[in-house]
Amino acid sequence: MEQLPRIESGIAGLDILLKGGLVAGASYIVQGRPGSGKTIFASQIAFHHAARGGRVLFATLLSETHERLFQFLSTMEFFRRERIGAEMQFVSAFDTLENEGLDEVVKLLRREISRQKASVMVVDGVLNARSRAETSLDTKRFIAELQGHAAFAGCTVLFLTSARLDDGSPEHTMVDGVIELGEELIGSRSIRRLHLRKTRGSGAIPGLHDFEITSHGLVVHPRLESVWGRTASPEAIGTRRESSGVPALDEMLGGGLPSASVTLALGPSGSGKTTLGLHFLSRCSAEEPGLLFGFYETPERLCMKAASLGIDLRGLIASGAVEVLWQTSAERSLDGLGHKLLQAVERRRVRRLMIDSLSGVARASARPERLIDFHAALANELRERHVTTMASWEMNSLFGAEIHAPAPELSSLVDNLLMLRFVEAKADVKRVMGILKVRDSDYDSSLREFSVRGDGIHLGRGFERMASVLSGAATIAGS
Amino acid sequence: MTTILVVDDEFLITDVLAFALEDEGFMVVRASNGKKGLDVLDRERPSLVITDYMMPVMNGVEFAQAIHGRHGEGMPIILMSGAHADLARQSGHLFACIFDKPFVVSEVVDAVIRLVGRPG
Repeated sequence: MEQLPRIESGIAGLDILLKGGLVAGASYIVQGRPGSGKTIFASQIAFHHAARGGRVLFATLLSETHERLFQFLSTMEFFRRERIGAEMQFVSAFDTLENEGLDEVVKLLRREISRQKASVMVVDGVLNARSRAETSLDTKRFIAELQGHAAFAGCTVLFLTSARLDDGSPEHTMVDGVIELGEELIGSRSIRRLHLRKTRGSGAIPGLHDFEITSHGLVVHPRLESVWGRTASPEAIGTRRESSGVPALDEMLGGGLPSASVTLALGPSGSGKTTLGLHFLSRCSAEEPGLLFGFYETPERLCMKAASLGIDLRGLIASGAVEVLWQTSAERSLDGLGHKLLQAVERRRVRRLMIDSLSGVARASARPERLIDFHAALANELRERHVTTMASWEMNSLFGAEIHAPAPELSSLVDNLLMLRFVEAKADVKRVMGILKVRDSDYDSSLREFSVRGDGIHLGRGFERMASVLSGAATIAGS
Repeated sequence: MTTILVVDDEFLITDVLAFALEDEGFMVVRASNGKKGLDVLDRERPSLVITDYMMPVMNGVEFAQAIHGRHGEGMPIILMSGAHADLARQSGHLFACIFDKPFVVSEVVDAVIRLVGRPG
């Protein structure tokens, strides 16, 4: 199978979606309402292309002056004023369009492609060309003629338009790709979405993908399940065991957590999930680096909490054995979080990961129905990378017989399930821990009294003579 | 009547300059690129040319060279240059003045008056 030569877009995430970049010599329509980021999108590609030795022709059919455009773009990190007039030429075809019509614009731009030896051309304001054309067929011809000539010269073209052209529009049939930039309001949050509506000759990943506009330009977050965790080898989970950091728990697990497995610790707030995670990370070293991907507690608070358990988290961080990534805001894209997590894992070759909590990750999701696919991809990818993962999941009720477990599908995605609960016994609030599942392994299923002292977690046998412990109100067995 | 030729592919800039110069009493002719500018030059015989640098067909320096080639070096030419001012300054001898974009319109008008006098 032949691979078409590509032009790297330089937009983080987009080249992954496009399987390497824009097809060289192909033409694309980039559509979206005003403010959707089309100009930044095209400029970012243009500056990246120029930085890699390419030549760019930026033609505007708009009334806005180029100087205004430069002022606006100068706030972006990729902007390089010295390239303008050198590798990048900006021409206005507005006057030609107004006075001489579309045919003359085509002639002008054809000449300019040759004169500038352009390998990328941006035509901003194709909507204007459309409003000018007597029938929609005229813009079709305009695009056809221009891209025909560009393709002959090996020049990749981006037509920017704020028109909402639908899939059946004649313009769409003429070009090789259609990229739509959109925005969606979910509650009070606004989420930008990139939609690859048409991609010819590229095997690109279709569908909607979140993106953000930062000072570095666009950052696209491909849907996690569309790029990762697609090849789960059944051998990923090893027969080796890794210590959970709590010797008594290792014993119950039959030697520790299976290497490269994913463990979910369910429990209400204050039941000891983070404490358990800190024990798990206490076994990190330079050879076995760890990561805490957290939402609630700041690194400073975590260090204090660890110190009270006799764990020197500060020292582990200082030596580089543990990294704490604290997510300050919930206003993030679900896929943005997923990619950030996987990048942090990749960067330090992390072997022990604590996600505190997975429900915090889930909260970033605008579409709950996607969560299962997302978590499945994340879990598969972590197993593939031989990361032993512990994740917490916040449960709502403190007491009570009802256990609001996360979706049953989620429980089946993880390899091991631990449960932490509060229980009232003899007018005393105690904490209880039990193992609900260990993949392909026998385990000690007894409920243990979970207590925390200055030297860490203790798992006592305080419930041996009790019944109905999981109801939240334990009774003495037989009474 | 003193005629000024303004050449720029960006119509907003030719408009702004033309209005300001017409207010001073100059006659203004326009062109959207250098090639068209040369035609207008032959036809209208202006006293001074104001040109952009980054334009289709030929850039400001090529345009100025073509004017000097056809009409000798007597014709004063003002260059309006944006990000690429340094490139243009390498050919500074071709121009009576160089303004960086965004420029102050009144300063350009003052420069025109200094070079060709007030319109008679």
